[in-house]
Amino acid sequence: MNDALNVSHLTKDYGSFKLDDVSFSVPGGTIMGLIGENGAGKSTTIKCILNLVRRDGGEITVFGRDNLTDERAVKGEIGVVLDESLFHDALTPTQIGTMLSRVYPHWDRGCYGGYLKKFELPEKKPLKTFSRGMKMKLALAAAFGAKPRLLILDEATSGLDPVVRDEILDEFLEFIQDEDHAVLISSHITSDLEKAADYITYLHKGKVALTGAKDELLDTYGKLVCSRSDLEEVDRSLLVGSRVGQFGCEALVKDRHAFARRYPSLTVDPVALEDIMVFTGKGDHQ
Amino acid sequence: MIGLIYKDIMALKKQLSILIVFIFVYGGLCLVGAFDFSILGALIAVFGLTVPVSSVTLDEAARWDRYAAATPAGRRGVVAGKYLFTLLIIFLGCAVALGLMVILSLVGLTKALPLDLVWTALACAGLTLAIDAVILPFLLKYGAEKARIISMITFVLIFGGAVLFTGLAKDGIPLPQPPAWLLTVSPVLFGLVCIGGFVISYFISQGIYAKKEF
Repeated sequence: MNDALNVSHLTKDYGSFKLDDVSFSVPGGTIMGLIGENGAGKSTTIKCILNLVRRDGGEITVFGRDNLTDERAVKGEIGVVLDESLFHDALTPTQIGTMLSRVYPHWDRGCYGGYLKKFELPEKKPLKTFSRGMKMKLALAAAFGAKPRLLILDEATSGLDPVVRDEILDEFLEFIQDEDHAVLISSHITSDLEKAADYITYLHKGKVALTGAKDELLDTYGKLVCSRSDLEEVDRSLLVGSRVGQFGCEALVKDRHAFARRYPSLTVDPVALEDIMVFTGKGDHQ
Repeated sequence: MIGLIYKDIMALKKQLSILIVFIFVYGGLCLVGAFDFSILGALIAVFGLTVPVSSVTLDEAARWDRYAAATPAGRRGVVAGKYLFTLLIIFLGCAVALGLMVILSLVGLTKALPLDLVWTALACAGLTLAIDAVILPFLLKYGAEKARIISMITFVLIFGGAVLFTGLAKDGIPLPQPPAWLLTVSPVLFGLVCIGGFVISYFISQGIYAKKEF
């Protein structure tokens, strides 16, 4: 399985914020979820991949080609959906299709038209009459119409209702049926990524806090639910962060199988991606 | 690039239609003697200066540049598209105004010779090209709002200067006379300065845009 995207030691320094030595790869036929709190560096990473900002260090390759030296060819392989629809309100989907057919080398009019029908978008109406959900669906239809091998989505599902989000996630799953295709999706709606992603990269304060196969991560990490006295007896090096409440305590366990062997009397529940994010953040403050 | 020009035309369809109507309205006013036919030449400048600024204003409102730069067109394509669109608008404005002027001249509704009208239209187009050459790099670097101020200053400097010199000449104040050879080659020189300035401006804008972060 070849990597569709490879980000290696990516660095971007804004002064007040630094994307620091970020490395991850997206294998073909998979969906990579890029998670992290607001300002963690998800959008900056995507902007670096799309060369919308200048990186200060590192390398990025898309299907083995450098994203800067082969920029035009690389961008021809990428379908992009950013956090909002960036098409002019006066344009209609048909006009957008005509425009993009002159921009993307592999543009597929039939595919674009098919998605417009599938998403029930009126072809002749200007975008100003569209809802946010319709605009995002249009952006997605445009991304698919470009016949990309790599789809990059930056918070594309934020602000959409669960029904639309679910529809869109289904499209991604269908897209990666081809092993030559891959999706990189950044989102802080971790439940979406739990449904669709194969791999997860968690960015925290500009650094990769963890990266790997989603199922492995969810299997490795665990949530300890116990009393305050039990928590005090636990070896803190096994925990990432904890939350102490009036009626009990919760903590993120790094390796729940090893933890269960060492503390068989304590209960360790499976975690959700959101728990990993929340407890990692709390771990910083403790 | 063609796609980006198509986008600009479609997004500004309404404004372009209004401007074409303006040309015909002013043509009618010229017919009834309200204005001289040379006013149609000034409309070329109105076309060439307002439309590119409007196009960037709409791009900013949609945050389009961020998307365009992420497509295979890239930053270079965005700049090239904007310059070609500007050229196209000046050319179209020039063609419509010139066509109207020449037709009215040929049917005897103006005493001006068709060739003189051609020179008037070309001079207006050249001047518009030169002003756009100054404005476009600012437009792409600072956006439409700030570039509008630069546009106004450039416009006032050029036309204010022309009015001032004409006034001084009319008042009999002696002005330094350019050498005869310069007057002879001035149309060619003017054309070269306008075209050359536009080309230099294009490369400056490419440099500016290459450093832009979205």
